[in-house]
Amino acid sequence: MRDVFVAGIGITSFTRLEYPLVEIAAYPGLMAMRESGIKTIDQLYVANMGGCRVNHQTGLASAVVDNLSLTPAAADSIENGPASGASAIKQGFMAVASGVCDVVMVIGAERMREVNNLEATDFVATLTHPMAEYIYGVTLPSLAGMFARLYMDKYGITSRHLAMVAVKNHKHAMDNFYAHLHEEVTLEGILDSPDATTNNPIIADPLRFYDMCPVSDGGACLILTTADIAKKTGKPMVRLAGVGQATDTHAVHDRKDPTDLMAVREAAKRSFAMAGLKPKDVNVAELHDAFTILEIVESEEVGFFEKGQGHIALQEGYTKIGGKLPINPSGGLKAKGHPVGATGVGQAHEIVLQLRGEAGKRQVKNAKVGFTCNFGGFGNNVVCLTFVREG
Amino acid sequence: MEMNIYGYKCKRCGHVQYPYRTICCNCHENDHNEFDIVPLAKNGKLLTYTLLYNPPADFELVYLALGIVELEDGHRITGQLQIKQPCVGMKVTGKVELVRKDEYNKYYGMVFYEA
Amino acid sequence: MSVDVEKLLRPIDTPLPEFPAKYMTLAGGEQLVIRQVTRDEIPDILPHVEPLMHVERDFYDIVASRVYAELLGFYMHRVQDEYVLAAQIEGELVAIVNGRIVNPDVGMSYHTLALRRGLRIGAHAFAAKMEYHMDVLGQKEVLIVAESPIGFRRWMIEYKLEKRFHIPHELGGCPSYSLTRELFEAARGSLIVGRRPVPEKLLKKAQAAILAPTDPPRPPADLLAATRSLYDSTATALLGQRNKLGGTGNA
Repeated sequence: MRDVFVAGIGITSFTRLEYPLVEIAAYPGLMAMRESGIKTIDQLYVANMGGCRVNHQTGLASAVVDNLSLTPAAADSIENGPASGASAIKQGFMAVASGVCDVVMVIGAERMREVNNLEATDFVATLTHPMAEYIYGVTLPSLAGMFARLYMDKYGITSRHLAMVAVKNHKHAMDNFYAHLHEEVTLEGILDSPDATTNNPIIADPLRFYDMCPVSDGGACLILTTADIAKKTGKPMVRLAGVGQATDTHAVHDRKDPTDLMAVREAAKRSFAMAGLKPKDVNVAELHDAFTILEIVESEEVGFFEKGQGHIALQEGYTKIGGKLPINPSGGLKAKGHPVGATGVGQAHEIVLQLRGEAGKRQVKNAKVGFTCNFGGFGNNVVCLTFVREG
Repeated sequence: MEMNIYGYKCKRCGHVQYPYRTICCNCHENDHNEFDIVPLAKNGKLLTYTLLYNPPADFELVYLALGIVELEDGHRITGQLQIKQPCVGMKVTGKVELVRKDEYNKYYGMVFYEA
Repeated sequence: MSVDVEKLLRPIDTPLPEFPAKYMTLAGGEQLVIRQVTRDEIPDILPHVEPLMHVERDFYDIVASRVYAELLGFYMHRVQDEYVLAAQIEGELVAIVNGRIVNPDVGMSYHTLALRRGLRIGAHAFAAKMEYHMDVLGQKEVLIVAESPIGFRRWMIEYKLEKRFHIPHELGGCPSYSLTRELFEAARGSLIVGRRPVPEKLLKKAQAAILAPTDPPRPPADLLAATRSLYDSTATALLGQRNKLGGTGNA
């Protein structure tokens, strides 16, 4: 297997974009090509979840490859729910590592705000089990709510801890130009003051409005290639060292232990094994905090903290920029935004920026090893990536 | 006519699985459709629940109560709750009723009441 | 002579109690003040509503156009018993709500226009409006309609409004919903927040001047991209219309 390096990156703002889906996908591709000087590619992967359903666009990769005038390169669309982005990066990694392709462009794109909020939530709910969950009106927030209730009771996490995740991530996003939300929130405003019941209403008991990520549009791109080609760009060398994926039962009620995210644990293990590293080697991480409870749980399952200690670490300030292990320096899904198909690539984009030393005010000092966790479904398909700065 | 939710009993090894899987998750040996249907138990214990204040568009409710129940026969099932104050561990009993209706279709599933 | 005609054209307003100003803390820690505005303050508000008439998304264009007309109707004494409440943060206008009193028992809710997105400001403003009808004026019910799906979800579903489809609403004869006293009492705990009285300094700042919104909704930056994304790839009709009105600065 060859080593795989990241040669170019690009991203749009994650917000409400008034551009067609194909252009939201193409823009970051253009940015990545300009940044790296790469003009042709062998293969394009486009990660997207809602194109067929919400944007009336099937065969997205075929549309994007022409929109970027990159024909006759090979092009495939990858759909893996909210983990589409990291799945597409995994495919790109395999293409370059195996020797089949030399230059692979991976784009993640989503335009969820083409439809109204109700339809967007409904479209995301289609990833639930059709016969055992969807018919009951189960949506992702309700699955997160049921999980959160059990987890919070078992380990003593309170609404305050969840609110702290939101406050931390919103603060990080203030320094991120591309983030969806540029508003600081305070514990007073969303929890302590008597007006908090309207500011921060309960959406899926016990989760509240500020425990859930916004609905965003956006796109991001990574160009993966060999060491020789990456060296020519003159940028710091960042290697995609480990890729791990694992799956769990489709219906959430079927999980062996309802407070366990086995797929996260397994995927992280596989990713670290491939990279030859351990969780304690990681300097910066982007975890999938579509719901604030998930940031805490994932930080434990991937191995950064003991089970039941994640919220203590959060409280002690370990996970903010400047702490021992900054998590979600970009603002995470909570404040940076969550265009479902683009998220995985967006997380990788942030880690590459950090490892290159180009993250400006959000820079984590001496970041050498970065880690992302892209959580698909509700924990039934998880892809973890480990990036390493070389030289 | 009383309706049931069915589990699928593998004809090879006898393991009952819910929901349906094409290959038996226990023995992995069955042929296509080699299952008998077995009605699931209706009584159980509430494992977890949530009150969803932003339900899908076809539910014109202020909130939708959903829960995961561990049935007496060991299976777990997701269902709607018609319970004023749900709490973890409470005993519940279920009935198969209309749970969702969109423009063209009716969907039936488990609704749990306090036992 | 003209004075007499003006007297005929003006409806006679019923004297109504004033909405006692209230304030609340928002998610970001800022203080929101909601108070009733007088006719004299309307000219200060109109220039901030006007640009939204041209934001062709999220129903801003229709709501802003109608609010503009209603504010003008209030200012020029052509609508009977209308009231206007304004929500301000540090003096900056962030929302306007208005409505009318049909008779002592029935109120007619007009519009809720948010000039800063997010932060649930619209929800706070709408709740204040309902509080005015129910608590301050002691009415029995308020008739409400919604132009946008967001409005429908927030009010019709969240408050569980009753259908009053046989009563045409003043905003256009579409089916009315009603907030009755019972529904209001049921919603009071979770949906009506805020405290009184407003601290002296905060109230003075709000009353001193109505400042321009810092981050109002704007029309899309790239007009052609927006039309491409709506499947009208030629944008011919839209561009033609804009050019006639004085150009877009962005063709």
